Amino acid sequence: MPEGSAALQLQVGDRVVYPNQGVCRVAAIDVKEVAGQKLTFVTMRREEDGAVVMVPEGKIISIGVRKVASVADVEEIYAFLRSDSDKADLDWKQRARTNLDRMTQGGILGLAEVVKGLQVLSELRPLPTKERELYDNARHLLVSEVAAALGTAEANAEDSIDIVLFPPGRERPKRTAAEFARPGGEEDDMDLDGDLMGLEGGELDLPSDEEPPAEPEEESSEEGSEEEGEASEEGSDDAPKKRGRPPKAKPADEGGEPAAPKKRGRPPKPKPEVTADSAAEPAAPKKRGRPPKAKPPEGAEPAEPAAPKKRGRPPKAKPPEGE
Amino acid sequence: MIRVVTLDPFDDKQLAKFNRTLYTAFGVGSEHSGAAELPAGMSEPLDAEKLLDEVKGVRAYKDDKVLLLTSRKLKDRELLSGKAPTTGFARYGKDRAVLTIAPFKDLEKDFKPIARHALHQLGTLWELHHCLDPRCSMYPPWTPSFNQGDHIFCTFCREKSEQKIRLAKS
Repeated sequence: MPEGSAALQLQVGDRVVYPNQGVCRVAAIDVKEVAGQKLTFVTMRREEDGAVVMVPEGKIISIGVRKVASVADVEEIYAFLRSDSDKADLDWKQRARTNLDRMTQGGILGLAEVVKGLQVLSELRPLPTKERELYDNARHLLVSEVAAALGTAEANAEDSIDIVLFPPGRERPKRTAAEFARPGGEEDDMDLDGDLMGLEGGELDLPSDEEPPAEPEEESSEEGSEEEGEASEEGSDDAPKKRGRPPKAKPADEGGEPAAPKKRGRPPKPKPEVTADSAAEPAAPKKRGRPPKAKPPEGAEPAEPAAPKKRGRPPKAKPPEGE
Repeated sequence: MIRVVTLDPFDDKQLAKFNRTLYTAFGVGSEHSGAAELPAGMSEPLDAEKLLDEVKGVRAYKDDKVLLLTSRKLKDRELLSGKAPTTGFARYGKDRAVLTIAPFKDLEKDFKPIARHALHQLGTLWELHHCLDPRCSMYPPWTPSFNQGDHIFCTFCREKSEQKIRLAKS
């Protein structure tokens, strides 16, 4: 929770910061009757665009509304931004969660942490789209609050922040993954996966690593069940690569046996399930069930227990019990 | 509409090329809208903020963005965290910006960096913040590599500026 929020006393004309929305000015504090209850509402108008929000007075603290930071707070922010201690979290899930908390409940320092963290991360590699948007939002909120705190133009506030983040005459350092690595060293892999979701450069590479293993497994399992184990043993190493590229190669390799897979493949998927359940019965259900497709599975059940059907209409669960 | 207003004499051909570049970058019409006079009593280096407030003789519609172009130096701004080198200044989300070509030799010879600075200032008028991508024109302009880049935006900044322009049109 923001500092001092427990003792937040608002008056008309006060400047406050609404989390994730920006700097607002208290326009009115009214008592209104809602559903028979008299509630005190604080009406705030966002300075940026004039959007109005009314919040019950009792919810002000829980929402995280706070007063605009002071000049001393801003100087602390500059000191924080100037420090080189912040290392970005390489686990994107953890990072997203932390940044969300910082944005909503972290106050001005939380905004600065988001900006600094993502800026440091960008020195390692370009930010994914979502994080780039988050960075822009955090920067916008930070700039507007600093401008409000210093009573200066937003352009000046942004420049004063960036003079700290991008010192004049100096290029940004280029980071390496080793700088962010923790003692465990396993997070690098997790991070690569996470950044792929954000349009990282290696998009094309990882799917090729992830997907091919899945396909060969399915193929090998089918073949393994139908064919001899020799073929699978021979191609255990090479199979994933060869099969991954041309999937049509299977029928050519095995002459007589592929007939079974073809039969299964032609009809729609539900059919094999029906045949598997009852092999001898399907002939009768087909004739009865052709007009409506849903009937065959139902028709198969009532055909045998004709009597139970009349008795058992209310509870449909009976047929499975009988089977 | 982008309106380039000159505070000092410039070559018309160079200005036409400059306007074409702005048109290409933003997809919005850009033209040289004449000259304006410096406020009385203002001496070099010029105070950019004061200049924007006090300059007279600029005619523009409400949605227009005005870029004042001068060959005189602008005074560096003293900010809480230090001194900000100032080749230009724009009010965030407002309608006026100023750009100086004083750090450069000529609008023709140093066209690329000047156009890059112009994009930066106009981007600020369309509510773009500083960017993390060194190739983008919204990268902080005082960094050493800024003047070596092309006058382009990164994908994020381009899309955001297009969105802002669409909103302004509607």
